[in-house]
Amino acid sequence: MSVLARSVGNAFRNKVRTAAVVAVLAVAIGLALAMLVANQAVTGKVAELNASVGTVLTVNPAGGQGFEGGGEPLTSAQAATAAAVPNVSSVVGTKALRLRNAADIAAEAASGRTGQGGPGGQSATSVTTSLTAAVDAGTLGNRNQAGTGASGATGSTGTTGSTGTTGSTAQAAPAFSLPITATGIGAEVDSTGKALQLTQGTGLGNYTAASTGALLGTTLAEKNGLKVGSKFTIQDKTFTVQGLFDSGTAFGNNALYVTLPTAQTLAALPDELSTMIVTVNSMENVDAAKTALQAALGSDKADVTQGQRNLETAVSSLDSVKNISFIAFVAALGTAGLIILLIMVMLVRERRREIGVLKAIGAPNRTIGLQFVLEALVLVALGSVVGAAVASLASGGIASALISSSSSTSAAATGQRGGPGGFPGGAGGPLGGASQLLTSVTASASPGVIAAGIAAVFGVAIIGALAPALLTARIRPIEVLRGE
Amino acid sequence: MIEVKNLVRTFKSGDRTIKPVNDVSFDLEQGTLASIVGKSGSGKSTLLSLLGALDKPTSGDVVVNGVSLASMPDGKLTNYRRRDIGFVFQQFNLIPNLSAVDNVMLPMEFAGVRKAARAERARQLLEQVQLDPDKHGRRINRLSGGEQQRVAIARALANEPKLILADEPTGNLDEQTGEHIIELLSTLSRDHNTTILVVTHDRALANKTDRRFRLQQGRLTEETARTRATAALTG
Repeated sequence: MSVLARSVGNAFRNKVRTAAVVAVLAVAIGLALAMLVANQAVTGKVAELNASVGTVLTVNPAGGQGFEGGGEPLTSAQAATAAAVPNVSSVVGTKALRLRNAADIAAEAASGRTGQGGPGGQSATSVTTSLTAAVDAGTLGNRNQAGTGASGATGSTGTTGSTGTTGSTAQAAPAFSLPITATGIGAEVDSTGKALQLTQGTGLGNYTAASTGALLGTTLAEKNGLKVGSKFTIQDKTFTVQGLFDSGTAFGNNALYVTLPTAQTLAALPDELSTMIVTVNSMENVDAAKTALQAALGSDKADVTQGQRNLETAVSSLDSVKNISFIAFVAALGTAGLIILLIMVMLVRERRREIGVLKAIGAPNRTIGLQFVLEALVLVALGSVVGAAVASLASGGIASALISSSSSTSAAATGQRGGPGGFPGGAGGPLGGASQLLTSVTASASPGVIAAGIAAVFGVAIIGALAPALLTARIRPIEVLRGE
Repeated sequence: MIEVKNLVRTFKSGDRTIKPVNDVSFDLEQGTLASIVGKSGSGKSTLLSLLGALDKPTSGDVVVNGVSLASMPDGKLTNYRRRDIGFVFQQFNLIPNLSAVDNVMLPMEFAGVRKAARAERARQLLEQVQLDPDKHGRRINRLSGGEQQRVAIARALANEPKLILADEPTGNLDEQTGEHIIELLSTLSRDHNTTILVVTHDRALANKTDRRFRLQQGRLTEETARTRATAALTG
């Protein structure tokens, strides 16, 4: 019988006691793991918020945004200027295009509606494609089209919005098809700076070089019966679907991405940018960077805007949840270690005579110590199995409870400050949109986090078991005979 | 060869100093079967623990094959106990949740003997001490006192020690098994050149040993034919 087998046997000597010890350990370990899972979930969310909206500034042409407004387009030189601003970690340029299906344009022309579809669009350029939009115009699309017919006359493509129909008469006109938004991007991010969520295929590789690859929204690909590897055309050029993405919205998925130089070539505007997505190195520097960026680009040439400011409050709230969960994790871990320490001290005291016998027949101190450490680890392993099950069931609830408690505290604190109307945006309470971000934290017990937690538990258990194991070295074998 | 030189062990009991072993000196040639008799509390077990390096003397020394135990560090004393000594304790001191064969295998495990070899030897030893093969795999707490005693003797023989220290080895055995154990110890002493020192109340056992010692109030005297006759006359 090996030391390990003896340790396992010893762990089950007194089954009732073993069950009780395992139950107590399972509670402590389960709590520790649940707190770790909550901590990891919140840490991930904070990182995500910081990495996306929280630290992202958007630069639009002064007086223009997307397909609205006017002004002069942004240029690559301005992107270089923005990149040189202190605390700016990256600048990603985009070039937006509006793709219209050639057959739809012909049908609309035949029915007397030849508008290029949409307002102004000084920063967007319309081009033809073999794709069909995945979103039907519906009431809203037709109403918007009708309401903007006049502005279509000044569209940058020079096509004329000649319908001249307005109001209710527009709804009676034949339905038109919505354009597809194609965006040239300088990195694998969407137009808000968030990483693209690819569901199939790969990215486009080098986003700063011309390419015939494209990333399609899932619904757009489905509408056109395309999959990874399929071909389609833009401006009579053939493109290959290299990946599919899911933006999470029907509008967002009626879009495609190509590399920035490709979009600029398609628009025949090689130096022009629609927007710049500027990422600041930390949330604390966002305000300073925004001011510096606006000054560097000139307020008459570019508008610099920041994502939802109330995210700072959300992140701050999540940070406190993160700290609480980490402290609770450490405390539960310490409790598990203390339980092991006390149990093993009790077992060593109970088995003094046996330890003396083992020494009398020649067992080295390290063998006896190892036997007790292994016995402790057997108990911890059992406790971890039960604890992991408890954590996987309870971690979501615990994380939600912590977050809702923290949100309430933040809300109460905000109310006490007496700010007029609380946070802007209003929807859903004083935290506005941020409260939705808080509740969107999902604490799923991933195997990696559970494994890391259990590794920490075992580390603490070894430390807890070492002290009693070292105590065994001090037991002298004569104590065996002296008792006789 | 074991040389015991002016061995003294004292204990404090309140204000009193007790000397269970008081200036004991003797030597035993390798392969000798010797016995120590004496009344309860005369210091027999204390003397055995000093010889087996379980305890340290207050003064004096035990020299085994020219090596002094008094100057030996704890690690080497452990090696000495594992390699050179076999103990048979008065109350067996077996590990209760292990089987008979596992108990006998323990000293061999500590000595680094391979599992298959130690299992084989453990079974042979248990057969030597006449433990029913059906009981080899039984837990100690499901064996009778006599059976436990036999397992304890088998465990003492596991690493083929040079010196066996036995405290009442036949105390819990029936007459027939006791006779067999005495025969086994004699054979070991004679054929394997093992030195055996037995503490016993069993006069029959003592009479079968090569040398007999009497311990009285911590002092050891060797019995000769003449002293035995005197002792018999004085009762």
